[in-house]
Amino acid sequence: MSKSYFDETHCAIGHPKTKVMQWLLTVDHKRIGVMYAAVMFTFFFIAIATAMAMRIELFAPGAQIMDGDTFNQAFTLHGVIMIFLFIIPGIPAVFGNIVMPLMIGAKDVSFPRLNWFTFWLYILGCLIALSSLWTGNGFADTGWTFYAPYSLNTNTNVITTLVAAFVLGMASILTGLNFLVTIHRLRAPGMGFFKMPLFVWGIYATAWIQLLATPVVGITLILAILEKYFGIGIFDPAKGGDPVLFEHLFWIYSHPAVYLMILPAFGIMSEIIPVFSRREIFGYRTIALSSASIAGIGYLVWGHHLFTSGMSDIAKTIFSFLTFFVAIPTGIKFYDWIATMYKGKVILETPMLWALGTIITFAIGGLTGVTIAMVGADIHLQDTYYSVAHFHYAILGGVVFLFFAGLHYWYPVVTGRMYNESVAKTAFWLNFVGINLLWFPMFIAGYYGMPRRYFDYLPEFEIYHQISGIGAIVILSGLLLMFWNFLSNWNTGELSGTNPWEGTTLEWHLPSSPPPLENHTKVPYVDFNPYEYHHGKPVVKFDYETMKRID
Amino acid sequence: MLQGFNTSGTVIAEHIQQALEINLWISLVLFASVAIPLVYLAWKYRENNVKDEDIQNVTHNTLLEIVWTVVPTITLFVCFWYGYTSMVTARTMPAIDDSIVVEVEGSKWKWRYEYPANESGFVHKLGGAYTKPVRDENGKLIEKGTMGKSALYVPVNTNIILNMTAPIDDVLHAFFIPAFRMKEDVVPGRITKQWFNSNQVGEYEIECAEYCGTDHSYMYSRVVVLPIAEYNTWFNSNEETPEGDYGNSGDAILQQHGCKSCHAVDSDKVLVGPALKTRRLTKEQVLDVIENGQEKLGYAMGAMPAGMAEGTDAEEIAAYVAGGMIGTQPASFAACSSCHGEDGKGQYGTSPSLVSYDVDLLRNVLKNGKEGMIGTMPAFPYVSDEEVSAIAEYLENTK
Repeated sequence: MSKSYFDETHCAIGHPKTKVMQWLLTVDHKRIGVMYAAVMFTFFFIAIATAMAMRIELFAPGAQIMDGDTFNQAFTLHGVIMIFLFIIPGIPAVFGNIVMPLMIGAKDVSFPRLNWFTFWLYILGCLIALSSLWTGNGFADTGWTFYAPYSLNTNTNVITTLVAAFVLGMASILTGLNFLVTIHRLRAPGMGFFKMPLFVWGIYATAWIQLLATPVVGITLILAILEKYFGIGIFDPAKGGDPVLFEHLFWIYSHPAVYLMILPAFGIMSEIIPVFSRREIFGYRTIALSSASIAGIGYLVWGHHLFTSGMSDIAKTIFSFLTFFVAIPTGIKFYDWIATMYKGKVILETPMLWALGTIITFAIGGLTGVTIAMVGADIHLQDTYYSVAHFHYAILGGVVFLFFAGLHYWYPVVTGRMYNESVAKTAFWLNFVGINLLWFPMFIAGYYGMPRRYFDYLPEFEIYHQISGIGAIVILSGLLLMFWNFLSNWNTGELSGTNPWEGTTLEWHLPSSPPPLENHTKVPYVDFNPYEYHHGKPVVKFDYETMKRID
Repeated sequence: MLQGFNTSGTVIAEHIQQALEINLWISLVLFASVAIPLVYLAWKYRENNVKDEDIQNVTHNTLLEIVWTVVPTITLFVCFWYGYTSMVTARTMPAIDDSIVVEVEGSKWKWRYEYPANESGFVHKLGGAYTKPVRDENGKLIEKGTMGKSALYVPVNTNIILNMTAPIDDVLHAFFIPAFRMKEDVVPGRITKQWFNSNQVGEYEIECAEYCGTDHSYMYSRVVVLPIAEYNTWFNSNEETPEGDYGNSGDAILQQHGCKSCHAVDSDKVLVGPALKTRRLTKEQVLDVIENGQEKLGYAMGAMPAGMAEGTDAEEIAAYVAGGMIGTQPASFAACSSCHGEDGKGQYGTSPSLVSYDVDLLRNVLKNGKEGMIGTMPAFPYVSDEEVSAIAEYLENTK
């Protein structure tokens, strides 16, 4: 049997003999992606544990298992881990690394050593964030947004968290840079931009956001650190600074960051839908260009986080107006995906279930986003559970659900094996029911005036918190079942073969599964579109020795 | 649902509510336009219903694409428009001459209100922190959280402008009245503004909506909308808070549910219905009358209609009426009530009625004790002046 990337690797320094050192020093994009996944999902479950603790606390009014200060640290920890350690690196770090070079027929990313460095920079950032749990006065209690002047006044260890976010931002910039160059320079010959798979389009649009928007948050975090320790008076009103300026600077990055999260996820959707409909995707160019336009417009809408911050009414109106322009390309994508099923053959295997389920949950997340893009409505709903529910429907029910869809879809590429299909479907339904039970009641509670970040609440809101609590248990059991399914089949699952889904893109045309160290045997010539099917069968076939077309 | 959530009677709430409802319908239609085709196509083209040779690569349909671009775009701009116009309603401040301007200060973790000077040059300043609910170790509620008498008291049918700020060394807060659908951040070193005009007498919750630290979850306050005459009486006096009990939601709820139009509360006069100033009824009895009405009298005075109030409102009214509509008892009164009774009206053979005692007399007796005709009043030399005046004020209310 041929050697896979698990058996041999290139290293950043030297030729280490031990397995451990080979992993620690590897520059192979697939290994780095797998390591990202291992670290990120560990943190994901830590953040979920924190969230569960909060849900238990909120099950009834009053303090049960923690006091207000601990609760404040808990939601900060949850937010910081989920945002900075999990979802921002997220899909690009895992599937951008593992799958994107395979899809464009490259042997690795453009700068493999930089990729290695970036991974360890990310680990450094994680360690700094974690260290603040046990040093100083404990983990920050500011919320993941670090709003001034609270972050300047609190005694907790905000500085460490800010430094961690800065280092993680640096890693994000370098990832974006690496992917941009890779997509521009290493596409297989013949693969023009409009012959790229749509996931690559998603990664490409994302990489621009990583490169251009992240420096702004870097600057902001540095200013906050300087302010806290040297009192330079940028944000602190006591020194003539302006706390609202912090909000602007923070959201100039952090709003594009949500598109940075969702665009690669949309890319995964665009891969799965045509493959499991066994036909060409509807409106390829529209989907590709809408990703690009979302990335562009995404820079201009940050002000919609500040509708009640004391910003001028004209600015509110403009930001609201621009925000609606993001909804339009997003909506068009949805109709394109649905239309792709028309006259196809819809195969409801697990990745497709996740994709279709996400269309429902993200539609709810997106449409409730329209509500709070309306300035007047947002005056009422800003900082209530409505926003919390909207955000979680969009990010968990959009980005993370599609991340899970991708985990199922590309599991055979990564491991060469197959998970248990019926367990995976059960896990999907638990997650799907769980997310709705957990977050839908929050729309209602938020509308009735339940503010976010409250650890105790008025008795009127008890019923909503209790339904949410039950939903949290359902979704947690679904998540545990899903990851148990992945891990238990990693080495022992049924062999999948190289193309279990009858996919058409290049990651399904590898000589073996899991793929060998340098991917395709030869660089293929791409004179075809990414999703060419004829009567439900892939059109393009390769001889995997020579990578010449044989159809 | 918070008290008065759907009956606050402000223009802003109506306009924003309208925007929310239009948005809800548009959202439902757009959601259906995604979910119905999704389910239908997934079912119609299910795996064992399609032969491979029937699969067709349909990749474009210009008409359909124009429809699903233009129609959602139009509906989205309907949303934008209602969002915009409702914002204009919320953000267009009325003329200062036609309004009462109240200075609001949010700080960790309380709201304070400062009014303009009244006729005699007195400036009302009130507000304060919310008293947290008390629970036993099993989490069972022993005492409800309360705002005491601290509230933003405003007259009905009047424009109120709030000039809001926070102390320069404090943090961000947000002044949120869910029933009025209004919210704006309170920023240290800046003045932000909101306005409202309610045509419904009542009490409405105020919450802090911008995270501000340890007691963010307890930074509550209330707006109490009073009849204009009652407001003016208070405003032009030097009294801390208006007459009547607004500490336990009592009077305001009576107002809101229209009890006072038939029942006298501050005298024994019989209006349409009997005076409520009674201690003959238990809470359960009052609750029963509120829920089921009362027409056993059989003469022209008329019937009490059923269902005038429901739920927690009814409970609170019942507790309030049954308790003789007195204010919150000061903690220090516990020492007095063991002999002089909960209402301070004395007990035969043990102690006299305290109702007509004024502050000076109270202070004197408490400090020195008194050799009386029935028994001996012991001295309480450690009672502070604040406690004496609290007791005196309380007794004044029980008259």
